[in-house]
Amino acid sequence: MKYLILLFFIFIVYSLGSALYYMMKDNGGSKRMVKALTMRISISILLFVFIIFSFWMGWIKPTGVA
Amino acid sequence: MQSRPDYYIPSGSYWPILGSVGLFAMLGGFAGSLHGSIVGTIGLVLGLGMIIFMVFGWIGQVVHESENGYYNKEVDMSFRMGMGWFIFSEVMFFAAFFGALFYARQLSVPWLAGEGNNFWTGELLWPEFKSIWPLVAMPDPTNFSIPKGIIGAWELPAINTLLLLTSGATLTWAHWALMNKNRNQLIAGLMITIVLGITFLGLQIEEYYLAYTTLDLKLSSGIYGSTFFMLTGFHGFHVTLGVIMLIVILMRCIRGHFNMDRHFGFEAVAWYWHFVDVVWLGLFVVVYWL
Repeated sequence: MKYLILLFFIFIVYSLGSALYYMMKDNGGSKRMVKALTMRISISILLFVFIIFSFWMGWIKPTGVA
Repeated sequence: MQSRPDYYIPSGSYWPILGSVGLFAMLGGFAGSLHGSIVGTIGLVLGLGMIIFMVFGWIGQVVHESENGYYNKEVDMSFRMGMGWFIFSEVMFFAAFFGALFYARQLSVPWLAGEGNNFWTGELLWPEFKSIWPLVAMPDPTNFSIPKGIIGAWELPAINTLLLLTSGATLTWAHWALMNKNRNQLIAGLMITIVLGITFLGLQIEEYYLAYTTLDLKLSSGIYGSTFFMLTGFHGFHVTLGVIMLIVILMRCIRGHFNMDRHFGFEAVAWYWHFVDVVWLGLFVVVYWL
């Protein structure tokens, strides 16, 4: 489960990083940055939904005081 | 809008010296106020005031120059480079804090409990100590505030995550509006994003209040309390900064600034907000779940 969440993060950071690259490179003249940011927020929402679903299924549980 | 062919060089400016004096007064005053000096506290407040005045004045001047077409492509590129270095420093900043959390959680606390080749460390120092994260039962709690519990992921943090993710979506909606020349949608999207950001901050204050008053979870609650407040606190500080920047961008959008080809100010602030959003998602997963 940890690795799956890590995989989500790799995609999120990649899309955020590519948005940064397009911001530096395209000088505001293209839609590549906003597309990368759309991808970023979409995967993030997916991760949040996935965490809720995993909790509901009993796959993960939050940090608690043992 | 026409831009100048040559590289714009501003005439002599008093903003840098004002900023330097403000910084000196603020930090010197802060050091003094830690020693209980009233003059120090006055210096701190005055210095902070000078810095705020400098930031608004200087950036206001830059906005004015930009809107009057003083800047060409090279100047635009210099702003982008500046933003790039700023982001680099931010990434390093949060990497250090996340690194501190990982070091304490994965390495030093287990070592104290005798993990790896540290059997005698645990045995000689605190033989009764067990490494359990969140570290509520400290090896020697004499000088610390012992927490009665921790903040559950399903309480305010989950709502806050939902708020920030929604704000990321509304900001992207506004970004698309800018690219599609829809100013009303742009302004509406920014307004919703700002309201969501302020709500996040309000709930964060509520969470800290609950932690301090009902759970005894404080900055002085050992390494768990320190890393928890340091990470979430600095993140909250960044959200505050992001909200201020979004308000400035909103004001500029209302005044008709930015178009689909020239909008670096918007891009920089939007990226910053997305970055702060990703940091929160990381905090939510690492601090509250894993």
